[in-house]
Amino acid sequence: MNKEERYDIVIIGAGHNGTTTAAYLAKCGLSVCMLEERPECGGAQETCEPIAGVRIQPHAIANYGGSAPGWEQLELWKYGFRMDWKAGAIVPFDTDRYMTTSDGLSQVTDKDKMGYAKITGLLTDPPFFKDLMRATFWCPPHPPHVELNEHTIPFMQVYKQHQPDMWTRELLEWTMFDLMDEYLDTEPFKVNQAWIALVSGAHGHMEGAAIPALCSVATVMPPAVAMPVAPRGNIHGYYHALLRCAIAHGAVVRTCCPVEEIIIEHDRAVGVRLRDDATWGAKKIWANKAVISAVHIKPTFLEMIGPRHLDSGFLQRIKDLSLKGGSLYMTHYLTRERLRVRPKFQTPGYRYENYGSFTGPFFPNDSRELYFENVTEVMGHQRNLTIPPERAMYGMVAGETYAECHPQSTRPGVYINGPQWMLVPTPEYNVDGMDAMEDKVKWNEYMRKALSQVVENLDSDNIVQIIGESPREQEFRNTGMLGGSWYGLRCDRDQWWNERPLPELARYRVPGIDGLYLSHQSSAHPGGLCLMAVGYNLMHILIEDGIAEPGDWWYASPWYIPEKGKKSAIPSRPSSVATR
Amino acid sequence: MTTDDYFGHMFQEFPENSEWDAVIIGAGPNGLMAAAYLAKAGLKVALIERRYEIGGGLATEEILYPCYSSNPHVIYHMMVDYMPVIKDFNLDGASLLWIKPNAQTAMVFEDGKSLLLTQMIEDTKDSISKFSFKDAVNFGKVMRSWRRIVDEIVAPATYVPTMTPIEMSMALQKTKVGQEMLELIEQSPLEIINHTFENDRVRALMLYASCMWGLDPRETGIGFFVPLLLDRGMNKCYCYGGSHKFASAMGRELVKAGGLILEHAEVNKIIVQNGRAAGVELAEGRTLRSKVVMSTLDPHTTFLDLVGAQHLDKDFKALIDGWKYDKWSFYTLHVASEEPPRYKCDDPWVNDAFMTIFGIESTEQLLAHWDNVVAGKIGANFGGHATCETLHDPHLSDKPGKHTSFFQMHAPYEIPGGWEKKGKEMEEAILAKWQKVAPNMKRENIIMTVHETPVDIETRFPNMRRGGIKHGDYKPIQLGSFRPNQECSSTRTPVEGLYVCGASTYPGGLVLGGPGYLGANKVAEDLGVKKWWKTTPEMERYIKTYLT
Repeated sequence: MNKEERYDIVIIGAGHNGTTTAAYLAKCGLSVCMLEERPECGGAQETCEPIAGVRIQPHAIANYGGSAPGWEQLELWKYGFRMDWKAGAIVPFDTDRYMTTSDGLSQVTDKDKMGYAKITGLLTDPPFFKDLMRATFWCPPHPPHVELNEHTIPFMQVYKQHQPDMWTRELLEWTMFDLMDEYLDTEPFKVNQAWIALVSGAHGHMEGAAIPALCSVATVMPPAVAMPVAPRGNIHGYYHALLRCAIAHGAVVRTCCPVEEIIIEHDRAVGVRLRDDATWGAKKIWANKAVISAVHIKPTFLEMIGPRHLDSGFLQRIKDLSLKGGSLYMTHYLTRERLRVRPKFQTPGYRYENYGSFTGPFFPNDSRELYFENVTEVMGHQRNLTIPPERAMYGMVAGETYAECHPQSTRPGVYINGPQWMLVPTPEYNVDGMDAMEDKVKWNEYMRKALSQVVENLDSDNIVQIIGESPREQEFRNTGMLGGSWYGLRCDRDQWWNERPLPELARYRVPGIDGLYLSHQSSAHPGGLCLMAVGYNLMHILIEDGIAEPGDWWYASPWYIPEKGKKSAIPSRPSSVATR
Repeated sequence: MTTDDYFGHMFQEFPENSEWDAVIIGAGPNGLMAAAYLAKAGLKVALIERRYEIGGGLATEEILYPCYSSNPHVIYHMMVDYMPVIKDFNLDGASLLWIKPNAQTAMVFEDGKSLLLTQMIEDTKDSISKFSFKDAVNFGKVMRSWRRIVDEIVAPATYVPTMTPIEMSMALQKTKVGQEMLELIEQSPLEIINHTFENDRVRALMLYASCMWGLDPRETGIGFFVPLLLDRGMNKCYCYGGSHKFASAMGRELVKAGGLILEHAEVNKIIVQNGRAAGVELAEGRTLRSKVVMSTLDPHTTFLDLVGAQHLDKDFKALIDGWKYDKWSFYTLHVASEEPPRYKCDDPWVNDAFMTIFGIESTEQLLAHWDNVVAGKIGANFGGHATCETLHDPHLSDKPGKHTSFFQMHAPYEIPGGWEKKGKEMEEAILAKWQKVAPNMKRENIIMTVHETPVDIETRFPNMRRGGIKHGDYKPIQLGSFRPNQECSSTRTPVEGLYVCGASTYPGGLVLGGPGYLGANKVAEDLGVKKWWKTTPEMERYIKTYLT
């Protein structure tokens, strides 16, 4: 009965990154056990049906990971991966596009488009878009002996090679606004891109984050694509393929198995002990080769390991990691009629017959002053929004644009649209109190008013229900979103790439504790967005440490630099799959 | 125009055309079981599901959104002790934890008295003795033989191909237990219960427990269900983490064995070529061709919507047309609360019970309520059963210390004025009734409520047509070798290469684990695949005693 189990690898947490890691390692032939606290795997990569026939996305929505090596290496198509390209409503590059502002539509000019195409690598032949994305997200941070500069940082190398006129030292210091001022034209387009970056983690105004911020928008909303592209079966459908890849290669998955402790013996992580209420009870599960924490960095060190094995100075730095700027209030609207955009915002020439009557608005994109007013409210004042809802910036996904055979609502007589999401203070830092945004009636109404600026029929006759979700609730539902933070950890320059989460932890290893690796968006470059990136990047490190020995299917990042004295993750044989 | 035009080939997707040994429609418990057995036997299997998640009725969903999950459909697992799939795939202990509370079914009355069915016969007798010592003694006496009927005949027969009624009665003549079962078959549930028990409240509990899944209390020919449902009603299990974990575990077995699952994939058509099922076409345009197609859907959907009447002969179509859906459905009120419901009654043990019936004061009232429901009405005399899920499973609440419960009652699919209006009215009526027996179920204690009507059941689970949880009524002409009809009850159908193995096929619904298992056996035999699994000892004994 009280049987202890032993595996090569124990992974704590079956969210996107834990599961990607499980899939990669199981495919290497290692025995893998992945432990999940909730009854269901998937973490933030989930889809729910709270009302019969009505599906919503509580967290992740779109497929940001189009450029991931994981598609080829893990062969997700074999496990049923499909896309709903209609939800992406691919709009030809030369179609007229518009941004919404308080004054109505602002046309995206040719200079905007050509500038954007240039900086995202679409103007060369062949385009270097995929290289730029891969260099930014799909490459482990360099080892400490490598000096970081315009010659060594992967995305700089890409520009140097493919678009040399953009390759300047300043590019590394710029904010995304600086970059856009150099190459784009209209203010509303720039504000729109900066805001999408803001809610994707790397803010449009962060110093030295120009390219990561740009890429975090371009990877989901390339200029040729009008809206985020959605997997069939929604974001959880993508997760299913990933999980099944891990299972098909033999990974063992256990749900309702929260981990209480990472067992450290002689400075080495050797296994985990489960919490009393786990399906298995408080049993120990041993790891021959590695324990990989794919849960939030704070509980990993502060609760599962603790001061018995770690210095107080180090623990203090973990405590001090900033969770700021990553909480979103989410609403979905269940309505009797389709939502109608006010005439002022109806896009000329938009093919409503093809894409449905309603596309999710991003509003208002008036000016960077307004953008900063919104940012200051949340991150400066750190208070409940006092900005009038007419001036509050938000984005939205329209459930109506999905393919007819991929309906988001099968409930007769109603339509579902959402989520609409708005940046709000992280509860931990909210000066009005941790539970200050729990008055859902009030905040749902605030969100409705904000959306009503663009949508004309959001009245009480039309609305059946507003399904709202506060950051605090997100934290309860999903403990990986500590403090209700979507990205786990702020994605500013001090907590990104070779600084994520701390310089000594940036290569996914934990100095002083052998056999322990980090694989959560909060603890590992490049962070969140369901990119299959943390698992891929971590593979390089596990190969260096002799833990993973992948087959012919593996190829390393072209920008990867091995740690001195370690085995290289670059296969000695020619790679079977060429990267472009 | 595709993304390829801009970025090159981004990634590969599941192909437009693919070839399989078996395509199985519907990833409910039966579809999952059939698929897992066959995949492990080496067949190339694809399981197709219309919803975004596998499991069918094995669902655990965040209905009290956000933060509280519920089991909107299956929660009482009655055949865990017998289901071959649990032993064959080792779905006990390591991957799933089955909790069988001793306090199983309570019935509380407005005057504070209560009755309790427990796993243990003696504990149950103690509770019955408060009302009638004679009934307590009789309960012990009948359970002695009823448990044998279940253990030796009904339970193992669930996983063995069905016999015609004549074959069945000849087989049962062979043993004393069989003869006792034959006597029961002739009677109606109401006759059996009235004959066995004298106290009306004891009768009411027994009647509820044996007919709550859809037996007609006054119908003869189904009496053997009374021992089955009473005995199994005393052995209900809860799947720790929620019923969906059972589905996930079977899904993992399927994938581990090389099988494919496609969710959010609606089948438009079963391809029939030269009179033979040859695959399926999906609404999204993809085609999966296969040697056999197994449908777990109801007969109307399988044969009329997906195969098409043009491929059926006239007599067979008439059989399909005659299929009757369940006589009733369920209305469920889900509640998130600060405290679990605390029943004010003479037995503190009631507060640990897995299921608590209230609102029913007499057999007369129960029968009148059920008659109302069958006639399309709900009167003030309704009653139903409640469960506090978090008492057994803290994982269902993301907020520590909070609780989720539900109250469920029989309800008609169609109701005067429509369910949108009636659904809201019922919430108040139910909470008023709940408060009478559990005074703490006041508004202050309640964080959130959500109700699901029979129409919602059909919306959430599109194949539970008319809100029918068993894909078709339990009547003698739709049971045993007549489920769904004599042509199909073996799981084979008149369309070669097409098999039916859902809840509308023998032995039926309620997550018995029968149809999917029998379907897998039949397909393995017909395709000449070696079975890696063996019949359970109970089945072997049954086959040896009655079928040889």
